[in-house]
Amino acid sequence: MRLEALLQSKFGYPAFRPGQKEIIESVLAGRNTVAMLPTGTGKSLCYQLPGYMIEGQVIIISPLLSLMQDQAEQLMMNGEKKVIAFNSFLSRSEKRKALINLNQYKFIFISPEMLYYESVLSQLQKLCIALFVVDEAHCISQWGYDFRPDYLKLGEVRQKIGNPVTLALTATATREVKADIKKSLGILDCSEFIYSVDRPNIALTVEKADNFRVKTERLVELAETLEGPGIIYFSSKKMAEQTADLLREKGAKRVMAYHGGMDHESRILVQQQFIHGQLDLICATSAFGMGINKDNIRYVIHFHMPLQIESYLQEIGRAGRDGKQSIAIMLYAPGDEQLPLQIAENELPDKSQIDWITGWMEENPNAIMNISAYEEQIKQRSGLTDIQWRIFYDFFERKNKSGLGYKRILQEMNGYFEDRIKFKRNSIEEVYRWIHKENCRRENILSYFDEEKNTSVQFCCDICGLQFENFIRNTKSDNQDKTFYDWKNHLEYLLIPGE
Amino acid sequence: MHISYLKTVIMYCVNELQGQRTIYSILHLLNGKKSSQTIQDAHLFQLTPLFRSFGNLSRGVLEHLAEEIINSSWMTAIEEKHYILTAEGKRELERSLLECPIPSSLNGWLYHSTGELFWERITLLIQVISHLNYNNAKYLPIQRKRDVHEWLKDFLRTSGIARNEVGVMLYRELGQCLEELSEINPAVLTLRLTGYNRIGLTAVQASELLRINQDYYHHQFLGAIHHILESVKENPAEFPLIDKIMSGSGNEVQLTLSAQKTYSLLKQGLDLDEIAKIRRLKKSTIEDHVVEVALNDRSFNISRYVSEERQKLIINAANIADSLQLKQIRQIVPESDYFEIRLVMAKLGERQ
Repeated sequence: MRLEALLQSKFGYPAFRPGQKEIIESVLAGRNTVAMLPTGTGKSLCYQLPGYMIEGQVIIISPLLSLMQDQAEQLMMNGEKKVIAFNSFLSRSEKRKALINLNQYKFIFISPEMLYYESVLSQLQKLCIALFVVDEAHCISQWGYDFRPDYLKLGEVRQKIGNPVTLALTATATREVKADIKKSLGILDCSEFIYSVDRPNIALTVEKADNFRVKTERLVELAETLEGPGIIYFSSKKMAEQTADLLREKGAKRVMAYHGGMDHESRILVQQQFIHGQLDLICATSAFGMGINKDNIRYVIHFHMPLQIESYLQEIGRAGRDGKQSIAIMLYAPGDEQLPLQIAENELPDKSQIDWITGWMEENPNAIMNISAYEEQIKQRSGLTDIQWRIFYDFFERKNKSGLGYKRILQEMNGYFEDRIKFKRNSIEEVYRWIHKENCRRENILSYFDEEKNTSVQFCCDICGLQFENFIRNTKSDNQDKTFYDWKNHLEYLLIPGE
Repeated sequence: MHISYLKTVIMYCVNELQGQRTIYSILHLLNGKKSSQTIQDAHLFQLTPLFRSFGNLSRGVLEHLAEEIINSSWMTAIEEKHYILTAEGKRELERSLLECPIPSSLNGWLYHSTGELFWERITLLIQVISHLNYNNAKYLPIQRKRDVHEWLKDFLRTSGIARNEVGVMLYRELGQCLEELSEINPAVLTLRLTGYNRIGLTAVQASELLRINQDYYHHQFLGAIHHILESVKENPAEFPLIDKIMSGSGNEVQLTLSAQKTYSLLKQGLDLDEIAKIRRLKKSTIEDHVVEVALNDRSFNISRYVSEERQKLIINAANIADSLQLKQIRQIVPESDYFEIRLVMAKLGERQ
């Protein structure tokens, strides 16, 4: 009962969700553990709770700065003060200060690129590490949909800090990815807790439209009739913005866009308005959703085709966390697969760009040791985007450090990027096939993860057949906020203690 | 007809510049570029209130708007990228300023950085107080910057004011400041505030709710903040809490980093040639810094570089010259060099 009591007192939850307790017990018993829990079922609790039960630090490796920040803030919100997110958001002096005082923290989030620094590693070696957590562990695998080369170092890092008990967490991993995780981290003998990726309370549907215009009209219709709150995902900031504007023009007042191009304050405000029920619908890019705990989202619509089944599951997994019936709708119009293909290809430098860089390096051999100083020049003349430069630079530096000649590096890079593009194309084709297959959508997704559908689901998918009326809102909500705004009242409400 | 507020602002600047600077000097001014040239121009042409009041304006948008203004025949080029308003343009400017006057409290030059700091601090403080009032400790801070959080902790610990008093005081002081606003609806600011169970609106949402054009909303928002800061500066005893919130924010001198370095060497008594040598910069760059210092520091005495007598001559020349272009002034006082003229103008601009 001790675990449940702690769950209640520290986190305010009455009971564990499926899987959490088993994983926590495994970790507490000192076993290396690989855990696969579907999105939205409380993965972070699996390291937070043990953190309060064992001496020493919990190190959490997290791939995305924003996710890390969210998780750290989440913990702080829960009253935990000994949290630090050790990443490039910190200034140089803040980093130095944090490093010296590292042993005073309980939960230490670190981005993988920080582990390149000897100074960071040597401080970690001095700690008494209770638990080494690899979040989003699928990033370790070349076969994972979100491969991060920095993650490849983690096995070595783990060894250097004395092989602490390790917990690898992921929401979605195919068989190959799972094998990679274990091998890479050196935890072949680990306990495994694999829970189905299936979320039976989310109905899956695909709607095909004849063309873009029809698709847009259908989107508007859905937004106006579905029971909210909801999220619509777009692959473009501009479309997210325009659609939100369009819906507001049509009278739906409680709709806002959310994307990475907005200033920080607006982003927090929109996110919080949504969580507090001041908004019914967010038109978002994939930047929205991570770390957002809102359990009553009723629908998720994809206006653009996602790049992988995995990311699709992550995004629709934000619906129905309260266990109530929800729906995921993918809209498709002929030719929609072009956009994800383009996005995938634009992410990486192409062959002609790398050839250009090879030529440039031949002419400027002295620049090779200090390539970052030439960032602007190379970007401008080769036409690399910021993201492409980042990928190029990371690859080059990693190989350069290991003493490889630049020609070999660039050759390898070409081969590597070709492989990545092929892989990404395959992933997109996988989504494309899923959209066009004519048998149960749930079954298809499950078989992608080597699972079988063995429970019957009442509202399964459009192929199995489902009544749309169940997802339509019955009350015509009055969108007009007619209350007169009085600024003094508002100020009073905020600042003067109530009775 | 309704012209966009941003166009009005651009036309206002064009009118003040009288064709003596390129259209891009307006971009630098509104962006708040901290170069000596921009800072000097802002003073010379009395455009300091607009300094950094559209930090995100892009070159493309400015060019596009300028083209539209030209196409409406409100503006015409007198040389490459130098424009003046046509008679029709001047009438249009007057008309639209009547409809949407630039907020008189706007003072970008003086308050652009303290304004940002004030907003970060006040929004976080209000959020914290509101949650304290409702005994709720679980919420996501609206500001993420670490130093703002550090400041808040420090403030609550060391201000010597009881926590429940802070809200009451803030309510009175903010209320009083905002009530004094004549041209701006206080809701422009209060709609954006976040507290317990009530999340503030974004700028876009607030402007839509109030049915104000987004750019105009932005100036009114800044205007409201600058008004508060000005009121507190004029009468700190009346607004002790806000005064405390802003204390130690370092307001007065806003020099570019490079000018700061030059200034500290100046204070050590070095002359311009020596400083140029030490800093390995051209003498003309050092002169730019001196002009910047003269613009920023009211107590800075320029007679070390221009004799009192010559200052008088230059002021005279500026008064009779057709325009404030340095070239024209120099034609009247050929014995002075440009550096001397710019220094005098820096002091002159401030007096106006």
